[in-house]
Amino acid sequence: MKKITDLIKEKRVYFDGGTGTVLQSMGLPAGQAPELWNLTEPEKIISLHNNYFDAGANIIKTNTFGVNRLKFDNYRELIQAGIKCARTAAQGREEAYVAFDMGPTGQLLEPLGPLSFEDAVSLYADNVKAAANCGADLILIETMNDSYETKAAVLAAKENSDLPVFVTNVYDGSGKLMTGADPAAMIAMLEGLRVDALGMNCSLGPDLMLNIIGEFKKYSSLPVIVNPNAGLPEVVDGETVFNIGADEFSDYMVSLAEGGASILGGCCGTTPEFIRRTVEKTSRLDYTVLEKKHFTCVSSYTHAVFVDDDPVLIGERINPTGKKKLKEALRSGDLNYILSEGIRQTDAGAHILDVNVGLPEIDETDMMLRCIKALQAVSDLPLQIDTTNFDTLEKAMRVYNGKPLVNSVNGTEESMEHVLPLVQKYGGGLIALTIGEDGIPETAEGRAAIAKKIIDRAAEYGIDKREIIVDPLALTISSNPESAVVTLEAIKLIRALGVKTSLGVSNISFGLPQRDLITSTFYSNALQSGLNCAIMNPFSQAMMNVYYAYRALNGFDTGCMDYISYASAEAAAQKAPAVQAEETLHSCIVKGLKDNAVIHTEKLLDTISPLDIINDHIIPALNEIGGAFEQKKAYLPQLLMSADAASSAFEAVKKRIPAEQSDSSRAVVLATVKGDIHDIGKNIVKVLLESYGFTVYDLGRDVPPEVIRDCAVEHNCKLVGLSALMTTTVPSMAETIKLLNETDKSIKTMVGGAVLNQEYADMIGADFYGADAMDTVRYAEQFYNTCRS
Amino acid sequence: MKSSDIFMINASADDIEINRGELALRLGVSRGYDDELIRSCKKKLMDVIDYKCAYIRTDIDLSEENICGFDFMTIDSSALYKNLAGCSEAFVFAVTTGIGVDRLLARLNVISPAEHFVTDALASAAADSFCGYAAGQLKQGLVCPPRFSPGYADLSLRFQVPLLDRLDAHGLLGITLDSAYLMTPVKSITAIMGIKNEKNN
Repeated sequence: MKKITDLIKEKRVYFDGGTGTVLQSMGLPAGQAPELWNLTEPEKIISLHNNYFDAGANIIKTNTFGVNRLKFDNYRELIQAGIKCARTAAQGREEAYVAFDMGPTGQLLEPLGPLSFEDAVSLYADNVKAAANCGADLILIETMNDSYETKAAVLAAKENSDLPVFVTNVYDGSGKLMTGADPAAMIAMLEGLRVDALGMNCSLGPDLMLNIIGEFKKYSSLPVIVNPNAGLPEVVDGETVFNIGADEFSDYMVSLAEGGASILGGCCGTTPEFIRRTVEKTSRLDYTVLEKKHFTCVSSYTHAVFVDDDPVLIGERINPTGKKKLKEALRSGDLNYILSEGIRQTDAGAHILDVNVGLPEIDETDMMLRCIKALQAVSDLPLQIDTTNFDTLEKAMRVYNGKPLVNSVNGTEESMEHVLPLVQKYGGGLIALTIGEDGIPETAEGRAAIAKKIIDRAAEYGIDKREIIVDPLALTISSNPESAVVTLEAIKLIRALGVKTSLGVSNISFGLPQRDLITSTFYSNALQSGLNCAIMNPFSQAMMNVYYAYRALNGFDTGCMDYISYASAEAAAQKAPAVQAEETLHSCIVKGLKDNAVIHTEKLLDTISPLDIINDHIIPALNEIGGAFEQKKAYLPQLLMSADAASSAFEAVKKRIPAEQSDSSRAVVLATVKGDIHDIGKNIVKVLLESYGFTVYDLGRDVPPEVIRDCAVEHNCKLVGLSALMTTTVPSMAETIKLLNETDKSIKTMVGGAVLNQEYADMIGADFYGADAMDTVRYAEQFYNTCRS
Repeated sequence: MKSSDIFMINASADDIEINRGELALRLGVSRGYDDELIRSCKKKLMDVIDYKCAYIRTDIDLSEENICGFDFMTIDSSALYKNLAGCSEAFVFAVTTGIGVDRLLARLNVISPAEHFVTDALASAAADSFCGYAAGQLKQGLVCPPRFSPGYADLSLRFQVPLLDRLDAHGLLGITLDSAYLMTPVKSITAIMGIKNEKNN
């Protein structure tokens, strides 16, 4: 028998249809797991498969969709029995294949859910290992509504088996997965992971899948699978039926086949009759394979970014080179600063975010993984993984949700032999630096030659040149006046090789005054020479001016709408007065005007000492709004906005306080206790404490007692705030307090949260119960004032 | 794999009016209070909110005191037993505002505590309002006691597991549970609502 991967390139192939709904009609009680029948009613499962083969299906799905070790202790037996049933039915038939079926785990992956990526890989890996050598011809990963879980399942399949891998995802009426990915994003990721066929199943009927099939035809180079439901369930005369019958279904399947699908079958509500009619009607149609696509693209968990002549902006701000504040944030593990840089660049118009966290004194791999996971919770832009550490690169490519942009490979043997296998395995756009064994060639021709070498070498790993984006390197003109000209010439030569280009444009002006002027002019020249991507500062007005003007002038901005919108916003920003005459720092804090609070603080710093600004302006303003809140004359969001403004003012003041005078002794460790994921109350307390100048060690939510104790000990911090929202997690709070008391009796604990009251707080041994955030701040102030006196 | 007796109720952001009393309570303001911050947070929330509900209508067995029997689970809860008194059937349902809301909250948590707090309150009130809307759609022409959720009184959160499983809530709504039985997306609600008899009877 032919390999299934050969057959799908030669002819239209058919999957079976629904399993659960058919088994229910055979007597499976609603709510009972169908997979149990693999052991208890195998003859019925074999009969189900036989019926589908008889109807013309080539591939049947094993009855193992919902099996994993989280749900079934005997998952191995269920899987092996399921494959045995399918194999029995396929026995003696021509072109009859068995697909080992894996569905979702039922858990959402981090960062929004509790399941870690590697735990998800491990769950699927156990399934794949259980299925090994049982006679499956391929692995089908189906009904996946999350791109990240899909990636985990594909990696598990690839790492534990040599079987072909087919993947189908569940799209909703808007053409997206439940967690946001569109077909282009899924195709980019799955082709990068080298699956053998991909497509969609479940949720929608064939009528609604017709609205989406065009996207697959447009972006996929792989055979496309379509396994729709029989429409939607409805109640007719007291019976539940799906609203599309076999005849209508098969008519739609003809349109789907004509629209580009070449592997056809069914899902919920479909029966052997649906497959029989689909085979009858579509087998007469001409069969064509989808043409190979030549897009260069990377993706996030929602969308793909295509690299073409319309310029792509890669935000450079998450890179510690020359950025003092980011270096501090990386050293102290302050993810919030890094995330806010990511969000600001997203809002400023970047298309991709560069992530470089390399500092000699930190664990780069750990920080890179933390940053990638956290950034993917707050920004939907694709990320560029920027590291020279091969181990960091592999781990980062693995946990990345989507198809990353890899920065970078170069023309040295060491780089190519480490980086290319990773792109081969995980997929990714690849930035190729024109650096060879002898460094950076001085001529454009020399750089193009290195680009050619990398392209050829990548081909040996099966990496198409469409994945390669060459960076011919911009070197500062302050040390070599010819460098800009050479780089621009290299862009042209490299484009002629049929690949895309990228440049870290800011380097060109290094060492010169008014850098924006040189950098933006060079960027304009580079665009004219054919540059596709720029690693740049999206907060630079000069750079964004060039970007919008270039697009408007070169036909990438229909009706100049983007340019008009950008130019109008810039004009409005310039017109707005910076500050009102009657405004003061005090009034800005009370009103929660963050930007203006900073402007006033900086003005005051010219005439008043930093400590006087804190004591005479910031604290009185905070006390005023805090008092209004306590008297219920202001509400919590107003208090938070004031706190935010005060914190910004504090930051501005702190820069002027000499290091020896700065007071970091007023510190508080804050955490939501183990088992509890509610952190809104804890976050409010944090903001207020910071606005009053306290140093806060925020350990986040679901924090084990030992971690809280270790933090307090490490920083010699004598005040710990604990939060819990659920009654079930108060014991965990009690345990934490006990541990802290055993460790150091001088540590005081403050507790708060919806389930607590004074009586409860006393019972668990807390030193203070805070009814609200202001209450907690007052106690912290009192605590440190007492310590001092 | 979905049972064929699970049905969906979807609504657009415009279909659901956020309950003002519920919102005021969560924000700690007087009913009807509004300001620019609340309006701008509401706009951001409405851009990402994706209301979905899945439900089944099922027989219930109340023959044993304080035990509520469903064909897929047996619940020991005197409070639910009292709530369902006189009912022979029930709707079991789950609603969510979608994972986009979780992402928005995560983002606001980084950039603005005030916006985060207000949007969280708006999203909670929106989930509750949609749950009320769905219950209203279900009970048309029927007499139903107030809906009852796991976590109320003595109805343990552990019943979230069979309940969400039965509704294929992961597949249809994207709802998953952690080890403490808390749901993601965070603004999701599960409920049971008894059916007494036809109104016109």
